[in-house]
Amino acid sequence: MSVLATRPEPAAAATTRRRPVLRGVEGQELVLIGVLAVTWVALSLATDTFLTGGNLRNIVFSVAPVALIGIGMTAVIVTAGIDVSVGSQVAVVIVVVGKLVRDAGVPLLPALAVALVLGGVLGTVNGLLVSYGRIHPIIVTFGTLNVYRFVSLQIFGNEQVSGVPGTFAVLGGGQRGQLLGIPAAFLLAVVLGALMWCYMRFWPTGRHLYAVGGDPLAARLAGVSVRRRVVSAYVLTGVCAGLATCVLIGSGGLVQQNAGAGLELAVIAAVVIGGTSIVGGRGTVLGTLLGALLVGTITSAVTLLGWSSQLTNLFIGVFILIAVGADLLRERRRRSR
Amino acid sequence: MSRSPATAPTAPRPAPGGPPPAREPLPARLLRIALTERVALLAVLLVVVVAVFWWQGRNQYLVAPYDLPYLASALESMVPVCILAIAQLLVVVSGRGGIDLSVGGIVSLAGMVFGFCVGPFGWATAPSVVVAVAAGALMGALNGFLVAYVRFPALIATLATSYAFGALALLSNDNAPISDEPVQELHELTRSLAVPGVGDVPLQVLTFLVPVLVVAWLVLARSTYGRSLYAVGTNDVAALYATQPVRRTRFLAYVGSGLLAGVVAVVTVAQFASARPDAGSAGNGMALPAITIAVLGGVAIQGGVGRVGGVVVAALLVTWLNAGILLAFEGSEGSRYQLLALGLVLVLSALLNTLALRRYGRIS
Repeated sequence: MSVLATRPEPAAAATTRRRPVLRGVEGQELVLIGVLAVTWVALSLATDTFLTGGNLRNIVFSVAPVALIGIGMTAVIVTAGIDVSVGSQVAVVIVVVGKLVRDAGVPLLPALAVALVLGGVLGTVNGLLVSYGRIHPIIVTFGTLNVYRFVSLQIFGNEQVSGVPGTFAVLGGGQRGQLLGIPAAFLLAVVLGALMWCYMRFWPTGRHLYAVGGDPLAARLAGVSVRRRVVSAYVLTGVCAGLATCVLIGSGGLVQQNAGAGLELAVIAAVVIGGTSIVGGRGTVLGTLLGALLVGTITSAVTLLGWSSQLTNLFIGVFILIAVGADLLRERRRRSR
Repeated sequence: MSRSPATAPTAPRPAPGGPPPAREPLPARLLRIALTERVALLAVLLVVVVAVFWWQGRNQYLVAPYDLPYLASALESMVPVCILAIAQLLVVVSGRGGIDLSVGGIVSLAGMVFGFCVGPFGWATAPSVVVAVAAGALMGALNGFLVAYVRFPALIATLATSYAFGALALLSNDNAPISDEPVQELHELTRSLAVPGVGDVPLQVLTFLVPVLVVAWLVLARSTYGRSLYAVGTNDVAALYATQPVRRTRFLAYVGSGLLAGVVAVVTVAQFASARPDAGSAGNGMALPAITIAVLGGVAIQGGVGRVGGVVVAALLVTWLNAGILLAFEGSEGSRYQLLALGLVLVLSALLNTLALRRYGRIS
């Protein structure tokens, strides 16, 4: 499936004149916006606590780490890859940065730089193994999932890191982490998401990501440096994981050894709910952000409605099936046309 | 499965994958076999691992002897992961990105079903086992329906159902395990059995693992369904033209995976003497280690390639490597190094695959 097949390029636009060349918001995103709107309206009618500043702040702050990593993960999945090691990447960064901040008293900016660079290095290892080692991404990242988890546990030693100071409070969930009343972490995710959306839509190397995911051989013949694009997607995911870690450390406190466990599935869930095709070549960051928001909304709704918190995962599963099922249906209709 | 001669270079070199020339020297031939035959490579590694740990144990480097009785008792931890790796073998071979992330969820939920049957309902063991395994197969059927008939990507369908099954397992008994008296007595199913000359072998190896392996081998290597599965996994369009029931074959692979996860649920409940709602999702979950072992055993993630033998040797390798590591390090450090070993073995063996592919043009 190439870029041409999924996007109405000039040739297709000539025959079906109703469609503009590049639509700003695509089908899946419209569906998600609709679903989000309906749930939000229903929840504000059903409970009097949903539509309060505090609750909305909680929701958008809790989705920030998933949304941030989702930005990178979207690029990876668009290139027909996958990265299941992000949870372990977060674990490595969180223990290194947590110890640096606590024991060496490193201030915000250098600590942030360390987090980003370390995340980038971990992502680079994945990217190089995938592109130059020619190993299937799911195998590479299953392997590094284990190796990174080992590295993180080794640095932890046998104890949790407690008493981490609030160096990253500007990204945390507290009062200091707000900008105009909105959690700064979420704003950061939105801004970075917007930048990434523009990059993948308008920048040549961004478009190349879709070409690589659609058909790597064709992309290579068309002059795309396939390997470099693939590595760049994994590096970006690592950097995003580093950034998300800073949000997770937030106002400090306790860093536990199981930090980041299971995060990869949450991120992948957000990305696929957002309409990114797991076989590559299709998807947008906007969809991922909406997908993350939907997951956050469900989590909050289950709590507010006083339901058993185990229902959250059941709903997430059902929403994945509905979202991807709707996408499959549209795809089938598009092909039969 | 040799490539057609048309792709071979015109030089006097033999066609890649063709019969080796008679004058190939022995070392080169051994290297070729070790690199292209996954089972051979793993067997060599297995011998090396066991020999190294045995030697270290003899020289008192380990906290306990690494001998035959220890190896036999270590098989206890191999049973669930090996059966689940066989489950992954089925679905990965079925092709089109086949994978089953939901086995952990199925183990949890089928385990709770088993616990309810034995405990609160007070059923006998045999019908309860049948019900639990059938429940697993039913959950697998849902996956298979989504993947084979609705054409969901397997990764997404099973990710969604793993969330759903895991949540239902937790909801079923309000987050609490079932450990009534009858459930505790199930532990009898996993008692040790003294095998003369070896030591105490966990009973579930003989009652669950070996039958599963024999049946899986018969189905995959000796039945028409198996041939159909490999055909579908290699190229489903070609299989369709060859009059194979593509959708039914793929559907049944997921049913089989769910069924095996149901078997694992029974073993796990018996082993813990308690039906835990989070049995399949604790720690890193059960799906990831199972996929890792399947891939290590030579199952190609693209589908159509993989054998029961490879998966068994890979599971043995990982089990005995882990058992040795536990003796070599004190305290929790051992479980950490197990992670490192698993990750490295997986990535390095995949790198070896790439190397072999480049050098010999094919791998088994």
